[in-house]
Amino acid sequence: MSTSSSSSKKIVLKSADNETFEIDEIVALESQAIKNMIEDECADNVIPLGNIDSKTLSKIIEYCKKHAESPKKDDNADIDEKAVEDLKSFDAEFAKVDMPLIQDILMAANFLNIDNLIGLMCRTIADRIKGKTPEEIRKILNINKNDLLSPEQEAKAREENSWAFD
Amino acid sequence: MLRQLIAQLHHLYSTSSSLPLVEEPPPNQRWCLLNLEDNPSEDDCCNLIMRSGKFKLLEPGKAPPSKRARKDRTRGKLAEKSTSAETMDEEIWKEFPEDLYEAVIARLPVTAFFRFRSVCQKWNSLLTSNSFSVQCNQVPRTQPWFYTRTHENVNTGAMYDPVSRKWHHPTVPAVPTKMIILPVASAGGLVCFLDIGHRSFYVCNPLTRSFRELQARSVKVWSRVAVGMTINEKSRSYQIMWVGSDGGYEVYDSIKNTWTCPGRMPACVKLPLSLNFRSQPVTVDGSMYFLRSDPDGIVSYDMETGVWKQFTVPAPLHLSDHALAECSGRIMLVGLLTKNAATCVCVWELQKMTLLWKEVDRMPNIWCLEFYGKHIKMSCLGNRGLLMLSLRSKMMNRLVTYDVLRKEWLKVPNCVLPHSRKRQWIACGTAFHPCLTAKA
Repeated sequence: MSTSSSSSKKIVLKSADNETFEIDEIVALESQAIKNMIEDECADNVIPLGNIDSKTLSKIIEYCKKHAESPKKDDNADIDEKAVEDLKSFDAEFAKVDMPLIQDILMAANFLNIDNLIGLMCRTIADRIKGKTPEEIRKILNINKNDLLSPEQEAKAREENSWAFD
Repeated sequence: MLRQLIAQLHHLYSTSSSLPLVEEPPPNQRWCLLNLEDNPSEDDCCNLIMRSGKFKLLEPGKAPPSKRARKDRTRGKLAEKSTSAETMDEEIWKEFPEDLYEAVIARLPVTAFFRFRSVCQKWNSLLTSNSFSVQCNQVPRTQPWFYTRTHENVNTGAMYDPVSRKWHHPTVPAVPTKMIILPVASAGGLVCFLDIGHRSFYVCNPLTRSFRELQARSVKVWSRVAVGMTINEKSRSYQIMWVGSDGGYEVYDSIKNTWTCPGRMPACVKLPLSLNFRSQPVTVDGSMYFLRSDPDGIVSYDMETGVWKQFTVPAPLHLSDHALAECSGRIMLVGLLTKNAATCVCVWELQKMTLLWKEVDRMPNIWCLEFYGKHIKMSCLGNRGLLMLSLRSKMMNRLVTYDVLRKEWLKVPNCVLPHSRKRQWIACGTAFHPCLTAKA
């Protein structure tokens, strides 16, 4: 995957399955971890990402490209509302993937330190579990009986926040 | 733990792949779940463990380890361990970074968070966890909620969530029951209350019942005051400020836990200060803005430097009830325009160069028709980005929200108590950003 303007500096990322991705430096800088590597001059021509497969990495590059192109919030107080909406709908579309890929992206984004993407993936997972009952969550997580709340604690938690159960 | 949850969810979705992914799981989820739990397939287990071992957190700047070695190690682990669900959980959960698990929970809707408190000890104790508090503060703010008081029950609140468009009815603890206290300001998820005698201030997180009664202020005259509140995002401390018509003012700091009088109002501010007490002040860039009349306009107070300023801004013609509002740093005015027998709600934005109000929107005509020929009173129950307006006449109480950015008017559903059909009339209120870990 190579990108447009030849004038800007390029960075090459190499996935776990040895696929290489040439991207503009500005796109790579969306990742705080890569930014640090470049600033500390520990980045060679090729940055090996031995724990991210090519499928995940290409998704992450797609995300970083879009976000690198969009105007940043702190650049200008009067940012184009259309650009904000555009980015929002991009994010919504981006998150429409299956759960294994979401968790791969989340872990990779955490490794690469891409704050916005971590937030987006966490929000997506939260959205998908919010409708469950505590019992369902306990079953899924296989909670140890010793970690359960005592009846008193449970009653207290319920009483304190009874409004949330209406 | 979360990893296991994700994997289970994936199964749910793959068994019902026709559904859009962002939707809630289908009603037959229980069946899917049980089915999966009873028959965990070997392949899926391998997959899970490999996934969990796939990443390792590294210091930025260090080269990642080679994938091969790690994968092999994980495979080795798999061969040794049985495929029983319990051991799998342990392994998976150990590898999942704590901050990511808390980051997910911090993004749950508030009501889901409280329902999930009973999942286990860990989830129950998150409200007092510092790292969870850090996570909550990182979640971008969405729309504010509204904390209101009803005419029928002055000592219980009614809270409106504009996302789910639902009313909730929390009780505020520890308030002296004989006293009527009203919400007057908010910041950082905390609501500031003042009793109707203008003597005692209280601060409360309406979600968690974290509560504080503020020290008595030094002034002994209990005349009406305008109250504003700001939060210092870094130290999570808050300041509360009151201003009286005679120009007296004091600032409360939550760290020092005292009121101080930082100085006197300069001569450029005309006294008496004809403050519009029905309009809550707004905070923009660390300055608090109060609406005044005679001369019509705004006075501002910089919380950092303690500098007062007065801006004369002529009021629009035919304006009756009105209030200040704020949206992404813009100062807005919302008010009723009444001409002959017709009334409509109008929104203006302050032009900072010319110091004039410029009309930017009006309530849809069809809604205003209802007000024709009636004497309408308007109050603004929340004035940050999303405004809540209460429009009343003798026989009518309409509640609407207005989203300043989207220019979107929405009707608010009637507020009724659970197990009751009787509609509650909203008396007053303030907008607040729900925050689970804000402490009074």
